[in-house]
Amino acid sequence: MDNVCEEEVFSHLFKTNSKTVFNYIYYKFGNEEKAYDVVQEAFVKLWENCKKVSPEKAKSYVYTVANNLYLNVIKAEKVRLKYADRSNITSNETPEFLMEEQEYKQKLDNALNSLPENQRTTFLLNRIDGKKYAEIAEMEGVSVKAIEKRMHLALKALRSQIDGI
Amino acid sequence: MQENYLAKWLNNDLSEEELAVFKNSDEYASYEKLIKVSGSLEAPDFDVDKALDDFKNTNLTKDTKVIRMSPMKKLWRIAAAIAVIFVVSYLYVSTLDESVSTQYAERSEVILPDNSEIILNADSRITYSEKNWDKERKIALEGEAFFKVAKGQKFTVATADGLVTVLGTQFNVENRKGFFEVTCYEGLVSVTYNDKTTKLPAGNSFIVFNGNVVERETPANTTPSWMSFESTFKSIPLNYVLDELERQYDIEVETQNVKLDQLFTGSFSNTNLNLALQSISTPSQMKFKQEGNNVLFYAENAPQ
Repeated sequence: MDNVCEEEVFSHLFKTNSKTVFNYIYYKFGNEEKAYDVVQEAFVKLWENCKKVSPEKAKSYVYTVANNLYLNVIKAEKVRLKYADRSNITSNETPEFLMEEQEYKQKLDNALNSLPENQRTTFLLNRIDGKKYAEIAEMEGVSVKAIEKRMHLALKALRSQIDGI
Repeated sequence: MQENYLAKWLNNDLSEEELAVFKNSDEYASYEKLIKVSGSLEAPDFDVDKALDDFKNTNLTKDTKVIRMSPMKKLWRIAAAIAVIFVVSYLYVSTLDESVSTQYAERSEVILPDNSEIILNADSRITYSEKNWDKERKIALEGEAFFKVAKGQKFTVATADGLVTVLGTQFNVENRKGFFEVTCYEGLVSVTYNDKTTKLPAGNSFIVFNGNVVERETPANTTPSWMSFESTFKSIPLNYVLDELERQYDIEVETQNVKLDQLFTGSFSNTNLNLALQSISTPSQMKFKQEGNNVLFYAENAPQ
């Protein structure tokens, strides 16, 4: 059987999961640096316990560790998320449209920042990382139904804030 | 609308009816826009390769530590295993029986825990348990030995061919391939051969060769002749005599045109080989040639 202690297996786990762990923590923190540190620390824990963790369990192990690390860091910090923008690359739109889009994105950013952490994380893992509800449920350690609830509430809250209702 | 319909809609889990109703609602356009725009969001750049390199660099020290530590652990494990093996084998060996053996042209004297004496002739071996000696005086013998047994409990000599039991006496036991002889020099010895027990008084021998049992009187010596460095035979097939010659001098004996089953009566010296060769060859009407450790006996009349 593959062993997490083998460097190849470990590197593979790192490459396939570190980006999502990074995003996951970033959505919660809104702090790139801290998210980066959490990724490093979570994988250090995995490396230290490589004998006890099977490759199949390694992924959820890393998420659990990352989540615990997040909980240990001061959560009171104000979340300030900024999202890189793909749509800027193509701009053969009218200036008015671009202005409108820009405005909308600003509103979306603000709305996201004011969301409860768990709703924001669920929403962004789905929208940005394309994670299925079941995957998010596994990462967060809750039921799929709970994730659907968070997603529903997130959509409702974002819409009402953006539309100013 | 069902519970969490917005999540269901995003996951394409709404029924056609529900979807139609939702699409007709005022809010639908807002949600569609929200989904479209949020779909173009991106998380900050994350360079996986750089992160992995960082990881390896900062944890390389830990890595080497692990490597450095583990051989020590292994060493300790090996050391512990060796210690266990030593202790166990010591305990095992200490329960094993004592054993004394002699090679060709070699003799040995053994004093047993009760001061009984055993003198081992050449190419012989005794085994006994020192621990259980107080409970049971028992010796396993291969070859030939003279016993001076101290008075006490039953003393048993076990050989492949028969059992010799005494209380306290002096006797000789010889057990070679196809040959079993017990001679009593003092007291009374009981010999068990083929489940038949024979009482052997002093001055008597119990001899078995080739399955034939012979009981006969022996010269009134107090010790077997081999202890005076002479091997004595009375009507014994020649091949046993030659075997004994090999054992006493550590030589190789070969024969040519010689009847090995002819009976030999006489003795040979255990200290002078030339004399011994003559002692054997003359009465058997043989000649001999000696080259180093090899001796060839051949019939007097045979052409060479």
